[in-house]
Amino acid sequence: MIEMHNLTKSFDQKTKAVDSVSVTIKENTVFGLIGTNGAGKSTVLRMVSGVLKPDEGVVTVDNMPVYNNVEAKKRLFFIADEPYFFANTNARTMEHYYSGIYENFDREEFYKYLENFNLDKNRKINTFSKGMKKQLALLLGICAHTEYILCDETFDGLDPVMRQGIKSIFAKEMEERGLTPVIASHNLRELEDICDHVGLLHKGGVLLSKDLEDMKCNIQKVQCVFASVEDELKALNGLEVLKKEQRGSLRTITVRSTREEVTARFATVNTIFYEVLPLSLEEIFISETEVVGYDIKKLILG
Amino acid sequence: MISRNSFWASCLENHKRRIWVWIVAFMMQLLIYVGVLTVYLSRIRFWYEDGAYRTNEEFRKAMAQAAQDALGFQPVLFIGVMVLAVIIGKQGFSYLNDRRKVDMYHSVPVSKTRRFFAIYLNGIVIYLTATLFGLLVGTVVAAAQGAITGSVLAVIGLAFVWNLVFFLVVYHTMILAVMLTGNSFVALCVFGILAAYEPMLYECIVSFRYSFFERYSNYFIPFTPKCSAFADYFNHTESIKYMSTSQEMAGTAVPYIGKWFVLSVILFIAVYVCYHKRMSEAAGKAIAFAKLKPVIKILVVVEASMIVGSIVRDAAYENDVLMLVGMLLAGIICCAVLEVIYEFDLKCVLRHWVSSGVAVLAILAVFCIFKFDLLGYDRYVPEADQVESVVFEPNVEYADYWDDTFEYIPGNEYLMEHMYVTAVEDVVALAQKDQQEEQENMGDPRRVEVVYRLKSGRNVERGFWVDFDNPANEELLNHIIGSQEFKAGMYQIVDDAKSCDKVQTITYSNGCVESILPLEDAGKLREAYLKDLEQMDFSMVRNNYPCGTLCFGFRNNMWLRCPIYDSYTNVLQYLKEQGAYYPTQLNAEDIASITVTNYHNEIYEDDYADVEEAYDAYREMAVGAEEVYSDVSAAYEDVSVVESFYDQEQIEEILQCIYPSAFQYDWHSYEEFDYNYDVCIEFKKDSDYPYNKTVYYFYYNMLADQVPEFVVEATALK
Repeated sequence: MIEMHNLTKSFDQKTKAVDSVSVTIKENTVFGLIGTNGAGKSTVLRMVSGVLKPDEGVVTVDNMPVYNNVEAKKRLFFIADEPYFFANTNARTMEHYYSGIYENFDREEFYKYLENFNLDKNRKINTFSKGMKKQLALLLGICAHTEYILCDETFDGLDPVMRQGIKSIFAKEMEERGLTPVIASHNLRELEDICDHVGLLHKGGVLLSKDLEDMKCNIQKVQCVFASVEDELKALNGLEVLKKEQRGSLRTITVRSTREEVTARFATVNTIFYEVLPLSLEEIFISETEVVGYDIKKLILG
Repeated sequence: MISRNSFWASCLENHKRRIWVWIVAFMMQLLIYVGVLTVYLSRIRFWYEDGAYRTNEEFRKAMAQAAQDALGFQPVLFIGVMVLAVIIGKQGFSYLNDRRKVDMYHSVPVSKTRRFFAIYLNGIVIYLTATLFGLLVGTVVAAAQGAITGSVLAVIGLAFVWNLVFFLVVYHTMILAVMLTGNSFVALCVFGILAAYEPMLYECIVSFRYSFFERYSNYFIPFTPKCSAFADYFNHTESIKYMSTSQEMAGTAVPYIGKWFVLSVILFIAVYVCYHKRMSEAAGKAIAFAKLKPVIKILVVVEASMIVGSIVRDAAYENDVLMLVGMLLAGIICCAVLEVIYEFDLKCVLRHWVSSGVAVLAILAVFCIFKFDLLGYDRYVPEADQVESVVFEPNVEYADYWDDTFEYIPGNEYLMEHMYVTAVEDVVALAQKDQQEEQENMGDPRRVEVVYRLKSGRNVERGFWVDFDNPANEELLNHIIGSQEFKAGMYQIVDDAKSCDKVQTITYSNGCVESILPLEDAGKLREAYLKDLEQMDFSMVRNNYPCGTLCFGFRNNMWLRCPIYDSYTNVLQYLKEQGAYYPTQLNAEDIASITVTNYHNEIYEDDYADVEEAYDAYREMAVGAEEVYSDVSAAYEDVSVVESFYDQEQIEEILQCIYPSAFQYDWHSYEEFDYNYDVCIEFKKDSDYPYNKTVYYFYYNMLADQVPEFVVEATALK
């Protein structure tokens, strides 16, 4: 488990890049770290990976402080937003380097993945495209067989097929050895179908950090046409309505409640039509953050 | 088999990233050692074929010397070692300046310490391997040509250690510069500052002292950087190279090697601490430690302003106001430039005005300290009871000094080692008089250099003016110059009895005759001279002229010249017994002609006065003054008039008022001779007078106010 306690980091005296961030990342989940540019995602990941020392607070990996701690770092693999590869080198040389550092590096698996992703092990990396470099970095990270892999904007720029391929590998590795990917992105849609838990960063602070399933289970979107106004009032009475839209007689209502509760409530009133719809991650975020006064569309959807 | 996870595996892995550095290091060391050796040896071979060496032994010695020069203390290695150390240090730790590299290296499970030592030791391994390879190939090439001897190998070994320790200092300095910065360009700038700061600061202080302190002197105690290996290497490699034996070289080199080693250890500790304190986010910034910014700024700005101040003062003809303006402007510009570099942003030019203000105040303080002598440097005269002994150099006699092996020793070093004048009160009294009296008001002002050896153990050097014409000074000077301690320091013959056993020639000269004396009498002659020297004091040398010079010749062209006065009865008696004494006064009948040259300096004096006036006027304008001065000066023609005299009576008359130029008489007033005239004597070929036949002409000077009228007329301007 990665635990961040009250992390604060400033790069000059005036601006705090990260301000009192406390987040817990459980094992064997995919943790999405979402935020706009400058929200502090990279800084958080760099602190988690032990590159940066927090001004205040502490990061622990499996209860070990990570900064200047080789044992803790053995459990992490950090892929920066612009991964660095040695000059004039190829994938094979990089494998040599990382396999010398990470004791559990699986060389066989690495070359197998390289083949599957059509990456030439002897081709100079500086001739790779940006996407190919990210793939290579991800494969090196996956094959390092660390407990945690920290990806800073790594999925941005990958084509959908490759992204799907990597997601499949993540799923396999999570299943086989309990890998915990931590993925930072400025784009919510990138993470929608992969994350189990999401932390939303804004201006260096955490707006929210929740399990996606919890969020999905606790927020319901209902489309319905009530027979009368009284029925509507009766149905919504006692429910926490997050959002309500009206188009003619069709109501689209987002409420904080379980699916069972909503279904039970709507069954007791007279409706012409009603349907509980699945919410996208984007919609869940919009609803959750609007409640605390933020316009999420501006923040992470552009 | 090296474990993939071991320290050595990390070192090997690091070497893979440094292949180009290996190549550069090997190429440079091969070029510096083997390339230079080949040139040197082929040059010797060419000279050999050209007949420059009479024997094979000479040729072999020359080859060995060439090999020693090429593989030993080569001054060009100053550049070579520096460049290599900078490249190796910079390349090894430059990852700290790149955020992408820092993210990778600092996130992987490798301890900071292991990474540091892997890179650090690899740098040394690269230098060592390349240097040893260059030296090995060079030694094999030289040995194949018979140019290697045991002594050459010893020098090569010593020079290798010399260069290795110097490399460590430069290497650590470069790494420290990288640790203090987050950008390659700034790192190189900081390296330059670290390397040059102390030598430049000393240069500035010397320049300021010369500019503002009349009594500044560094003749005996050189004011040189204390900690700079760069200055040491630059100043001493050449002199060590020319030493004759490897023992002598080691004697000079080893203390510096020890000092540099200590310095490199201190630098290493600084590097290691900085490495551990340095945050990863420093990558890309100008200065890695924000707290150092104002400190660096103030130090750099003050030194830069001092450099500019020195230049402006020279260029502006010692104009102190312009100097101060130059210093302040330089300081302000330097502050602005540093702020721009710190932030990599032109808009930050006026940021951090507090530190800029402190820097400007520091500049003002430095200027005032020197201009108004706030620290009392120029007014310093110690209390007599604070001083143990004194070195007193009146700058009137030139002499050779040598060591046990007849190698030359600079006069200042000899005097420091041998002169312990205890007439402290007299020296202090002269120094105090100088404080009260203007030099312009002195009759015959002489600059003396003095070292006060204080009882506290400190040596303080000053130079001041003593009026040799002032009767009130005579007694003080008699006490100093008449003291045995002064003579022991000034005349090597006093302390050095051993040299007499190895004397190669002894001659006595009255200016024309050179009598050769028996070598076995050297000790006896020395004893006689020492007895006579007891009576020597300021009054004696000031009021009398030497009647001859006793000259002892030694190996390596070392000469001990002892002026003989009429009162030196012991020496004169010996000379007379040997039939070697000839009076200074010459007989007219032995002389064929006397040629007098009148330079007519009075013309120049008048005209130069005009030129000086014009020059002063141009100085006001400053622009082109030097050119105008030299143009005007060059316009003056040689107006000297040369006249030869053959008439016996005229020759007789001239002989009464001349004195040999070869004798030193700086004890006397400059005005006692008329330097308008040069006198040249030619003896008759058939004369019985035993003048030195190897010399055609003998030069004399005219005594002032005694120039015969007919000479004045004959040499008047036509």
